Amino acid sequence: MNDVLYIILRRLRIPLITLIVVYAISVGGLAVMPGTDPHGNPWQLGFFHAFYVMSYTATTIGFGELPYPFSDAQRAWLILSIYLSVIGWTYALGSIFAMTTDPTFRSTVARSIFRWRARGLTDPFFIICGCGQSGAALARALDRMGYRVVLLDPREDRAARIAVGEFIMPPVVLVADARNPEVLADAGIQKTECRGVIALAGPDSANQTISIGAKVLRTDMLVIARVKGSVEYGNLSAFGGVHIINPFKVLATNIALDIAAPEVLRLEEWLSGAPGSPCPSRVNVPKGPWVLVGYGRFGESITEVLDEARVEWQAIDPSGAVAREARVLAADNSESALRAGGITRAAVLVAGTDNDTVNLGVTTLARRLNPDIFVVIRQNDAADRVLIDAAHANMRFVQSDLIARECLQILKTPLLGDFIHQVRGGGSTQASRAIELIMSTVGNASPRNWEFRCDTLQPGMFGAFFQTYEEPLQIRHLLVDPTDRDRSLIAAALFLVRRGQKLMLPPPDTELKPGDRILFIGRDHARARQMRFLLEPGVFHYVRTGAQTPLGWLFRNLEKLRAAKEGQAASGTATRVPTADGHGADTGRTAR
Amino acid sequence: MNLEKVIFGFFTILACTLNFAFFIGDMDRPDMHHPSELFAAIIVNLITLVIKFGDRTQLGATHLATSLVATLHLLAASMVWLWTVYFQQEVMGPGAMSAIVSMSGGALLANLVSIALLIGETLRQGR
Repeated sequence: MNDVLYIILRRLRIPLITLIVVYAISVGGLAVMPGTDPHGNPWQLGFFHAFYVMSYTATTIGFGELPYPFSDAQRAWLILSIYLSVIGWTYALGSIFAMTTDPTFRSTVARSIFRWRARGLTDPFFIICGCGQSGAALARALDRMGYRVVLLDPREDRAARIAVGEFIMPPVVLVADARNPEVLADAGIQKTECRGVIALAGPDSANQTISIGAKVLRTDMLVIARVKGSVEYGNLSAFGGVHIINPFKVLATNIALDIAAPEVLRLEEWLSGAPGSPCPSRVNVPKGPWVLVGYGRFGESITEVLDEARVEWQAIDPSGAVAREARVLAADNSESALRAGGITRAAVLVAGTDNDTVNLGVTTLARRLNPDIFVVIRQNDAADRVLIDAAHANMRFVQSDLIARECLQILKTPLLGDFIHQVRGGGSTQASRAIELIMSTVGNASPRNWEFRCDTLQPGMFGAFFQTYEEPLQIRHLLVDPTDRDRSLIAAALFLVRRGQKLMLPPPDTELKPGDRILFIGRDHARARQMRFLLEPGVFHYVRTGAQTPLGWLFRNLEKLRAAKEGQAASGTATRVPTADGHGADTGRTAR
Repeated sequence: MNLEKVIFGFFTILACTLNFAFFIGDMDRPDMHHPSELFAAIIVNLITLVIKFGDRTQLGATHLATSLVATLHLLAASMVWLWTVYFQQEVMGPGAMSAIVSMSGGALLANLVSIALLIGETLRQGR
């Protein structure tokens, strides 16, 4: 039985017993009280009639004295019974109402409703632990991609904020600590529809516990954890199998890329952005010394990169404790401090404190001292978007957006991760070629990307590979609209993987081999159309030759007969009738 | 001494003894089975049932089941009484009386099982 019923039964034990006792006393007494019937004979009410009278009296319905007028003894007992039963019912009802407002009871009810809703999820879904700004941003992005989201957060106010957010399909939310594996189990981690667990709770230790718990419950589960500290990073790396994201490291890598190869960064951000987001414009960080305001973990990760790129920098931080590094100036964010930090000759300002108002103030001040300065601003709170917009910064660091983007990159298509890795190694020219290709295919909006797998076990692929045509099967065939071969799909091939061999931006005449995996980008409907190549037999034949293959058994055999006749008439000219399942009558040519 | 255990044991045994008080006597003689005894047995069995609510152990579940059985038996017996005396307006005869008493006999068996469980539990803990 479930918990809610047990709590109700347990809590209502005393009120129920009180009611039973009250009824027993009043019914028992009334039944034996002496009375007289209209003929003057001695008469007792009996248990049945006594229970009847008490039922309508105790509930204050009051039908009167039935079946005959009562004697004084019966009336005296009834007076006692009325007061007893009113007290009994008041107590019982009071206990029931008190129970419904009890926090323990409410959380148990919420938990069992949550478990029931999570069990009812039939679409693929992700479990996000911690719905702060990053969690909420990721949940919205996943929602737009058509996934369901199960959210766990120990704080009630955060969970309540999600409940009123804008979602296509409302997420299933529970106020609970996901460090408890039971909570993860209730959230449906063991269901086949569960595609992954993303740990974005506040403290690193919580994320570590959640990821390990999730991995233990299901070893094949995709787990992503946000970790900022090095100890937890080491622990999780040693545990293995968990994707770890450190937002400050990611930003530092991005800045390093921006200095070394800006196009790569642009392509990466575009491809892993939420669906529909525009192509990020070129950043072009100017060359010259940097001034950082705020030297915490954020500032430190940036300066590491700057040191590697041999860029001169100077940091300002009001707390003197961090001044062990010679280039950190212990000063407040005043004009004189900025001047001392060399703002007038600096090329880049990083407003990186953990206070959005201070960041905005520093930006304004720095602009007054040096109008052409390039500003990198850190936005801490998603609610301060308008404030930070007012700064018109050249580059903006928003942790929640960054985390959401990194997670999406891992979740969307595994092949995309490989592709981006390859691009990072390939340099700017390759990236700009890829951007040009995507732009010319789908325009400025963020494209969908998907994987096409040449799986010969699929009904559509068998015939495609094992029948002979004049030309081999090529990528360009996959870019033809399977419903109308004169039109082409709005899609392009970015990446091809064949037995460990990787091919960037494969040209359309690349020959396909069984087992190939191709990363396509394009519009959503192009993807749906392209899936027909996999699922429907005969589509490849139509795209290659323009002939519709009969699909049903009857018409397939008729076609065979007709072909055989024609074959006789033409006596040995090359005629082929490939059929849907690939066991076509190959007359004239030899099958491979 | 645990007061909860005392109350629990008291009601479990009282339910059985009251039931036995109604049950004892020739089956078909209405003058040997007073309705008050049945009333008392029903009330105490109901209280015993409610006391057993909310115990999540296997033993608690079995306890609850025996009480449910006893209460249902006794309610059935009172229904037969109601039917005969009030609905049919007949004087209680040997046929109806033996039906009522055999119903309470079933309830008595369930009460005995409940007491056996109680004794078994006590012995196991006493050692």
